[in-house]
Amino acid sequence: MIEVKQLQKAFGNVNALNGLSFSAPEGEITGLLGPNGAGKTTCLRTIYGLLQADSGEALIDGIDAKVAPLEARKRIGIFPDKFGLYERLTAREQIAYFAALHGMQGAKQAEAVAHVIERLDMTAIADRRATGFSQGQRMKVALAQAIVHQPKHLILDEPSRGLDVMSTRILRDLLRELRQQGTSILFSSHVMQEVAALCDKVVVIAAGKVAAQGTTQELCELTGESALEEAFVKIIGTDEGIAA
Amino acid sequence: MSNPLLIVWRKELRDALRDKRSVMAAMSYAFFGPLLMAVAFFVLISQLTDESDVGINIEGAEHAPAFIAHLQRQGIVEREKPWPDGQQPIVLAISENWAENIAKAKPIEVTLTADFSAQKQRTDINRVERAVQSYSNQLTYIRLQMRGIDPGIMNAIDLVKHDTATKGSRAALLMGSVLVFMLLSVFFSGMNVAIDISAGERERNSLELLLSQPLTAQQLVWGKALAASCFAIFGGILSVVLIPFIFSFLPLHNIGISIALGWQSILLIIALLFPLALFATALQLFVSFRAKSFKEAQTYISFLLMLPMLAVFGVEFSRVKHQALYYLPITGQHQALLDIIKGEALQWLPMALSAVATFALSALLLMLIGRMLRSEKVVFGL
Repeated sequence: MIEVKQLQKAFGNVNALNGLSFSAPEGEITGLLGPNGAGKTTCLRTIYGLLQADSGEALIDGIDAKVAPLEARKRIGIFPDKFGLYERLTAREQIAYFAALHGMQGAKQAEAVAHVIERLDMTAIADRRATGFSQGQRMKVALAQAIVHQPKHLILDEPSRGLDVMSTRILRDLLRELRQQGTSILFSSHVMQEVAALCDKVVVIAAGKVAAQGTTQELCELTGESALEEAFVKIIGTDEGIAA
Repeated sequence: MSNPLLIVWRKELRDALRDKRSVMAAMSYAFFGPLLMAVAFFVLISQLTDESDVGINIEGAEHAPAFIAHLQRQGIVEREKPWPDGQQPIVLAISENWAENIAKAKPIEVTLTADFSAQKQRTDINRVERAVQSYSNQLTYIRLQMRGIDPGIMNAIDLVKHDTATKGSRAALLMGSVLVFMLLSVFFSGMNVAIDISAGERERNSLELLLSQPLTAQQLVWGKALAASCFAIFGGILSVVLIPFIFSFLPLHNIGISIALGWQSILLIIALLFPLALFATALQLFVSFRAKSFKEAQTYISFLLMLPMLAVFGVEFSRVKHQALYYLPITGQHQALLDIIKGEALQWLPMALSAVATFALSALLLMLIGRMLRSEKVVFGL
C-alpha cells in the first residue's frame, strides 16, 4: 500500500506539489494521469525519498522514506523516468547488480535473475552487453531490474514512452500479472489510452494536486462524458500537454 | 557479498576493467612516463660524459707548436667542420710573440673568444680553459725548478675535496623528478574511472535509479571510491616497479649515480601510495560528481591535477625544508619518498601521521560527497 498524504513541495517560487493526497492499494494498478509539469515525477521521487517534501508524508506500507529511506526502498521496485544502462555489462549482470543491492545473494540471486529473464522473454539478449540494445530491449532490462527482487510495490514513471507495440504489450501483460499476485502498482503517464487500458483507479493530477480520482467509469460519470479523454479535459480544464 | 559497499565496488571494478580506455589510461601513464624520463636521462648522460674531441678555431697555431700538441693530447683540436647554425664559434687566439715571451718568461696573451652563456658549449669551453690552465701550470713548474725553487711553494693551500655525497644522495637530485612520476601516476591512473563512475553515471541517466536503491549514499560513494582507487594504486605500483627496472638500463654509473631500490624500499613506497590513491580518487570524485557530463568533469579534473603537481614541483624547486611538509598529504609522501631514495634515516612517525592525515582527509571528502548526493540540488541540478 502506497499512501501519499498532503504533500507540499516548492522549487523556488514554483509549487510543484500542492497538497497532493492519494493511495495505491495492493492488487490494484493506480494511474497518475496529468499533463506535463503537473508534478508526477516530483511526486514519485518524493515517494522513494530522493526529494524531501516540504510538508506532508509519503508512506510505503506505513514507512516514510524521509524517516527510513532504506526500509522504504527495500519494499519497492522502480522503473525510472530515464533509465541508463551500463553499456559494458551484460543484461544478466545489470539485473544481478540490482538484485544484489536488494540483498539477494548466491543461488537465490541467480535463480531470481534467471526467472525474470525468462518471464520477460529476454533469454536471447541476457548475456550480451547492453551496447547496441534497442529501446525495447533496454526497457526490458530496466523492467527486470525493477522487479527482480519481487517487490510488493512497483512504481513506474512514464513506462511506455518510446516503446513499440510489442514492448508495450509485454509491459501491460506483466503489470496485470503482478497485480494478480497482489503487488500494488503505481504508474505515471500522460497517455490516455494506456491509463484507460490498464488502470483500476485513475488519479488525475493538475498543478500539484488531485483534480479528481476514481475508476475510468466514475470519472466519466462525474463529468457526464462518455470518453475518458473528454472527461479528463473537463477535469483539468484544458487539453494542453496531453497525448490521446 | 551482502554489504552494498562491496557490491558496488565489485560492479564498478568489473565495469571499469572492461573499459579499454580506462585500462589503457591507467597503464600508459605508469609505463610511458618513466620511459620518456629514461630517454631524456640517456641523452643527458651521454652529453655529460662526452669524451670526443672538442673542435675549436685556433688562430696563430704556427707560433706555438708545443702548446698545440698539448691541447691535442687534451682532446682539443682545430675544427674542420663548419659551426652549426646558431652556435657562436669558440676561438683561441695565440699572440705572435709567443716564442719571445716564453724565452723572457713573461706572461703570454692567449685570447679565448666564445659565447660564455651558451649552455650547450659550456662543457667545451670549460675543457679548453682547463687545458690552457694545465699547460700554464706545467710551464710555471718548469720555470721554478730551473731557478732552483721548489714548485711546491706555489701551493700555499692544498684544498682537498672530500665528496660526502653518497651515490644515493647524488641520485636523489635526479630521482627527485622521477619521484614526481610515482606520485602523479596515482593521480593519473584512476582519473578515467573516477569520471566514468560519477559524471558518467549522471550522463547515462543511471544515477537517479542507483540513488533510489536500498543503500546509503556513503556506501555507494565508498564502493565507487575504492573501485577507482584500485586503478590508481595499480598505476602507482606499476610505475614504482617499472622505474627502477627501466633505469637499470641507463649508464648511470658513468655520472657517479646508482639507483638501487631494495624490495623493502619498493614495498614501503607502495604502502605509502595506498592512502594517496584513496585521496586522489576522493578529490576526483568530489569534483566530478558535481559535473553534469563526462566532458565537464574532464575539464575540472585537469585543473585538479595541477594541485599535486604544484605541491610536488613547488617543494622540489623552491627547496623548501619545513617539518610541516612531512605531515601533509602529498608533500608528506613526497618527503618520505625522497628520504627512501636518498637512503637517509626514515622518519617513521611523520610518515605514519601523514598517511593517517591523508586517509582522514579522504574519508572527510567522501563523507562530503555522500552528503552531496543526498542533496536534491546536486542530484537533479535544481
